[in-house]
Amino acid sequence: MLEAIVFWSLAGLVLLSALAVVTLRNTVHSSLFLGLSLAGVAGLFASLGADFLFAAQIMVYVSGIAVLILFAVMLLGRASDLHLRQVNDLWPTALLVCVVAGAGLFKVAAFFEGIVALEPPAPGTRAIGRLMLGDCLLPFELVSLALLAALIGAVFFCRSGGEENP
Amino acid sequence: MSDAPQAPTPAAPIPAAAPAAKPAPAPKAPLPEPKLNAASGRLLTDRFATWPQPIFDSKWSRQGYRNGALMLAGILLGGGLLGALIGELAPWGDALYALVASRAAAAGFAPPAADLAWTLIKVLIVLHVILLNGLWAIWWERKISAHIQSRVGPTYAGGFHGWLQTAIDGIKLLLKEDVTPAAADAPVHALAPAIVVIPCVIAFAPVLFGRELAAASLDVGTLYIFAFAGISVIGVVMAGWASGNKYSLLGGLRAAAQIVSYELPRGFSVVPVLMFAGSLDLAVIARAQEGYWWGVVPRWFAFYPVVGQIAFLIFLIASIAETNRVPFDIPEAESELVSGFHTEYSGMKWSIFFLTEYGYVLLGSFLLATFFLGGGASPLPWTPFTLVPSWLWMLGKAMLMMFVFLWVRWTLPRMRVDQLMDFTWKFLLPWSFANIAIAGLYLAFRLR
Repeated sequence: MLEAIVFWSLAGLVLLSALAVVTLRNTVHSSLFLGLSLAGVAGLFASLGADFLFAAQIMVYVSGIAVLILFAVMLLGRASDLHLRQVNDLWPTALLVCVVAGAGLFKVAAFFEGIVALEPPAPGTRAIGRLMLGDCLLPFELVSLALLAALIGAVFFCRSGGEENP
Repeated sequence: MSDAPQAPTPAAPIPAAAPAAKPAPAPKAPLPEPKLNAASGRLLTDRFATWPQPIFDSKWSRQGYRNGALMLAGILLGGGLLGALIGELAPWGDALYALVASRAAAAGFAPPAADLAWTLIKVLIVLHVILLNGLWAIWWERKISAHIQSRVGPTYAGGFHGWLQTAIDGIKLLLKEDVTPAAADAPVHALAPAIVVIPCVIAFAPVLFGRELAAASLDVGTLYIFAFAGISVIGVVMAGWASGNKYSLLGGLRAAAQIVSYELPRGFSVVPVLMFAGSLDLAVIARAQEGYWWGVVPRWFAFYPVVGQIAFLIFLIASIAETNRVPFDIPEAESELVSGFHTEYSGMKWSIFFLTEYGYVLLGSFLLATFFLGGGASPLPWTPFTLVPSWLWMLGKAMLMMFVFLWVRWTLPRMRVDQLMDFTWKFLLPWSFANIAIAGLYLAFRLR
């Protein structure tokens, strides 16, 4: 009962703040609501008993990604960012894509609906560690490699021309 | 057209008059006859005679140090007696919980009601730890800074060494006008102090105040504390942006860059400790440091050769940087940015930023004591020390670390922005990675 109240109110918070991200005209307010939405997702993890994912979500997304997005918005911002509409006339198409993706997710979730956890949630850090450095070692390393490539690519594109600073 | 050469103007009176106007220097007292060492010919100096005699004789110095030593002895003895009287705090907590549960059962509430009430009590206790720490740490910082600078600091309020100063300052701050600038984004401006202080309070949940004495025992405690301590920077950035002031905005941007950068070495410097302890739970980490090498040297992680000292120093430096204190106070650099992100705040909103700063100092002190100084374990294996309850050892170690925080602040000059960034990315971060590798070698060769 209590768990259901917490879960559904957090889900509502996540959805409403995500809606505010795309509808607000002030980009700084949008990025603040993005942080709130990501924190709500962390709360969902906590309410489902995934303690490691909860802490990692807060650490990486709320205090990492959201801060960097705020940083970029403030550093690169123009005055027009504060009062102009942030979407163009293709927003119905985007909405359609979202509806289709949402329907697909709902089908997938409905497929797993009947599966009930038999045990109360337990601390999962050790199990996640064993999985990442054991059975799932190869995918884990592949993801790390992809992130490394993205990092090197970002450094490459940030260099302003090879001639000025050899 | 060609005008006659003008009569040379008489010499300006200013340069001529200047030397004459200078008064003759007062006759100086004759210098004492220098005493030379007969063998080497070097000047012999009496270290104490070089001090001006009036200062050395004044009650602020010799008598002051004697009083200080007596006070320290009194604090240690009084703390020991208090500890002997109270004993461990965990049984008191259990007794309190039993009382709450029995009262709730007698009143006919469901069992979750007792748990809820117990959680609220724990939240209130931890909240008061943070609030009282603000009163204590600000007074202590003012006294320490004063003595480092040969001043005396607050003296009058409350009578005994100005102990009431911070409380009265707090009342003053509550009564001050709350100003919101016209250019400010009012809701974000008002919300920013809350976003700064709330994660600080939340991050205290798994902090260990003694052996097994914490508000919440979390399996991911370390990660949890680091995660929530990192959220505060959002509030700082909000404060900087919403003030509508370019100095504040610069301060907010600097804070974001600095705190996101220093979070990395701070997190990675603890990884060796987690590897040795094999857990993220703070109580398990503290328990892993029990025992003594050769019966004398405590098995604290700070005493592990090389790896412990590197981790300790990196964690200490990064913790100071996370609190925006002086060698790293680029976000509020007074000489460049007025006072950075909190320039446009007044009254209680302003003081909340400071409350949070001291909250994070306390958090860093307790984390240093837990990770590197053995938590609530006694540093010496002999009887009178091992009888002192664990919360008192923990408090003593945390206060020692807090003294280091305050001492560093009033000793070192501020770093430049680029030096600050180079220091973390090119020095602290590579060394914290190297330290993880060294810890791996320790574990591979079973050297612990």
